[in-house]
Amino acid sequence: MTLIEHDLPTGLAQLALSAAADGGAEVAQFRIARHDSRGISLRDGVVENIGSDSNIALSVRVVVKGAWGFAASTDLSENSARDTVARALAMARLSARVSSDPVVLANEPAHGEQSWVLPIGDDAFAKSDDEVIALLQSWNTRVAQASIVNHVDAHTAMGRDTTFFADLNGNAITQRRDRISAQLTAIHVGENGFEDMRTCAPPAGRGFEYLTGTGWDWDAELAAIPDYLDQKVKSPSVTAGTWDLVIDPTNLWLTIHESIGHATELDRALGYEANYAGTSFATIDKLGNFKYGSPVMNVTGDRIADHGLSTVGFDDEGVAAQQWHLIKDGILTGYQTDRSIAAKVGLERSNGCAFADSATHVPIQRMPNVSLQPSDEDITTQDLISRVDRGIYIVGDKSWSIDMQRYNFQFTGQRFFEIKDGQIVGQLKDVVYQSKTPDFWGSMEAVGGKSTYLLGGALNCGKGQPGQVAPVSHGAPSALFRGINILNGRQEASA
Amino acid sequence: MSEISLAQSVDIALELLGASGGVAVAESNASANLRWANSSLTTNGDMHERTLSIAAFVTATDGIGAGLASGQIRTRADIAELVARAQAAGIAGGASEDAAELFAGPVDEDFYDEPAVVDLSQLERVAGGLGHAFADDSVQFFGYAEQSADTSYVGTSAGTRIRFVQHTSRFELCAKSHERDRSSWSGQSGTTFADVDVQAHAQAVLEGLEFQKTRIDIEPGLHKVTLSSSALADLMIYLMWTASAREAAEGRSVFSATAGGTRVGERLSPRNFTVTADPHARGLETLNRVISVGTSTFASTFDTGMEIQPVDIIRDGILTALGSSRHTAEIAKLPFTPMADNIVVTDKQGHGSLRETAARMQDGLLITCLWYIREVDPQSLLLTGLTRDGVYVVRDGQIVGAANNFRFNESPVGMLNRIVDAGEAINCLPREWADWFPRARVAPVVIDGFNLSTRSDAI
Repeated sequence: MTLIEHDLPTGLAQLALSAAADGGAEVAQFRIARHDSRGISLRDGVVENIGSDSNIALSVRVVVKGAWGFAASTDLSENSARDTVARALAMARLSARVSSDPVVLANEPAHGEQSWVLPIGDDAFAKSDDEVIALLQSWNTRVAQASIVNHVDAHTAMGRDTTFFADLNGNAITQRRDRISAQLTAIHVGENGFEDMRTCAPPAGRGFEYLTGTGWDWDAELAAIPDYLDQKVKSPSVTAGTWDLVIDPTNLWLTIHESIGHATELDRALGYEANYAGTSFATIDKLGNFKYGSPVMNVTGDRIADHGLSTVGFDDEGVAAQQWHLIKDGILTGYQTDRSIAAKVGLERSNGCAFADSATHVPIQRMPNVSLQPSDEDITTQDLISRVDRGIYIVGDKSWSIDMQRYNFQFTGQRFFEIKDGQIVGQLKDVVYQSKTPDFWGSMEAVGGKSTYLLGGALNCGKGQPGQVAPVSHGAPSALFRGINILNGRQEASA
Repeated sequence: MSEISLAQSVDIALELLGASGGVAVAESNASANLRWANSSLTTNGDMHERTLSIAAFVTATDGIGAGLASGQIRTRADIAELVARAQAAGIAGGASEDAAELFAGPVDEDFYDEPAVVDLSQLERVAGGLGHAFADDSVQFFGYAEQSADTSYVGTSAGTRIRFVQHTSRFELCAKSHERDRSSWSGQSGTTFADVDVQAHAQAVLEGLEFQKTRIDIEPGLHKVTLSSSALADLMIYLMWTASAREAAEGRSVFSATAGGTRVGERLSPRNFTVTADPHARGLETLNRVISVGTSTFASTFDTGMEIQPVDIIRDGILTALGSSRHTAEIAKLPFTPMADNIVVTDKQGHGSLRETAARMQDGLLITCLWYIREVDPQSLLLTGLTRDGVYVVRDGQIVGAANNFRFNESPVGMLNRIVDAGEAINCLPREWADWFPRARVAPVVIDGFNLSTRSDAI
């Protein structure tokens, strides 16, 4: 067990849990969460915003007469803890009047007193503002000196969650995890309008070492950005139609997120997000028999990946972190669950996907790290490109949209390299790829090997009402897709 | 926070900021919500949050800088720690481009009043209405109700003391057939649940499901469509978020002129079509003063306390204003234009309800909701997204059935030139952006050649 230095008033847990039990709670969970963040943004090399935020709150979730009740407060006093318990009990009683679907929780062994810390290298919160600004300004200078570049935006963000969870089962779990992200965008403004080119480094569960070369080669990418932008400005507009695609993991992670990650959330499949985020075509009757994609498609869910944004020791219901298959050999084999959702379909145990983005929000089923597994063979991205006569190699994410059952999606990217006869011959622009989830994954002919694998991800995955935001990672190799519908974004606008 | 009130925390922060000054904003957010699915209540919440945010002004070598810090405070020491963090950040950041003399804004007499709270009895009334609706087991209901009371205490070292209370309510009801082959939605925003008629919403979604019993397959392509108020609101909100004076002046926006400068003064629509942000709009009232702890192309912390006037971004079809702070207005060589947190979209020739407007279309598609709207091409402001929960086929002025859903690819700027008819503006809940932008009064419109690019099989 790792000792975590923190200032969370965990002593309130006993008071709150006792009060909840005395008030008739069949289940009671107590959380305190502290969220620290830092952000610095530069516009054309000048600091536009620099600041930090530190939020802390407590919450109580109970089940009374088979119904959930949740209340939260940023007041961490004993009186507030008692009041929060009372309000949670009241919400549960109100809800019980109109609930016909009693809450049942899948079993989870008690883990007792635990602490867990995401391993990082260099503490980003210990870095001075001066040091971080100097780094961003050096990036800005390197890119801005190119004549093609008229403007440069750069920013970095750092986050740290320190959480405590306790329940009537005797759990008392303290955890801490860090994350960091940075992006730089170069903009060209010319006679024919404007174009931009952005770095592709994903956010990661790492410390400041990530911005100085561990886990991402910033020097190489920053050096290449002006040339990528120049090529894009001068590139021809894509011809709409059917193309073969080699998709880099810097782009494919987002397609995985939208078309697999959200589609395999069991709460969505059962209708619990129907009013807001939507449902899923991957309904429970398809488990074990639905052909999601080609036989080379193997997808896992996990909360244990190194540097993963969804990696934890225990989820927000005290379930220990796990890894499992969502899709095996192209067949749907699993879902993401929390304890109540798992119980609804008779699963013996949740796979640990309960998450709340702050103590003021109720834990709901959120996405674990969902990753497409690489081939055991040593297949490089160049190997995949060499198999394409006429195609596009897509790098970096940009625009994304998918329908409310996770069928029809449309994505763009940062850089689109045209492939002719197995070779890259230059860039294209205005490329938009659009497909239907099972068709798209069914067209995946090959995946790259481990050397092409990268953990992408996002900090801003939205779900739930009231809305919650979650960080999540998605690993992917490069992959080859045949016969994908390509739209021309410029032509779509003037259709 | 129990020992120090939010108003006092603002005073203490400004005292600790000293001669260099700054801005302090304390906020109380009280909210309660109910959520339901498969005709049964699911999650809920009763949340109380309090936060203090500080913009500390500091003297840098080449001007005035600003650093930001926010968090919860309980004691004077907590406030001092926030102020120190903000000042340190300000020193590191150097001179701010947008630094300007603070404006001496109003001093509200009720500044030291307690924050507003949420009346849970209203939520109980909604729950009662839902219980009645759930008794109809011919369909299944899904939805969300939220009531919030946000109280802001704003102070600046120029003497401004503003207390502002924003009450917001939101009710959404979705109904689906048991076979999940039909889906309909109804939503309402306001300040209270008092005027939410759950039964009326239930009747509206049931009527939608009834229309959907007749399914008519429609191919993708350019279609004449009637966009509901909610659907148009979602598109016009994105247009408003893009209407930045600085971005346009620097050539980085759909509102940039080809020859340099902005497109202000250009006709975007042949109709008397107007897009307004008005803090005094009846039923949509919002704060008429700038509050900004931080800098963007639209706002500067140095403008905190300045008055927000009603602004027509588009007036009678002509682009007339772009949003700005004092600083970005200077860069763009346009008037200072802070924008209120609401939207009113009208058409002078517009008349009649959504159903009447769709009937005048004669033949086309009536689109009730848009979803997952994202930018594809910033140059044209090409947006993509989906239709959702009801695309109705109109023939000879009558709804004759429901079509499949579509992915659209359209520019909310480009399509203004193709508006051919409009209805009367009504208060509505923007389906996509309601989390961030619940205050809207928007007319339904008929648009020629709306690009329903591909088919979506989603229900």
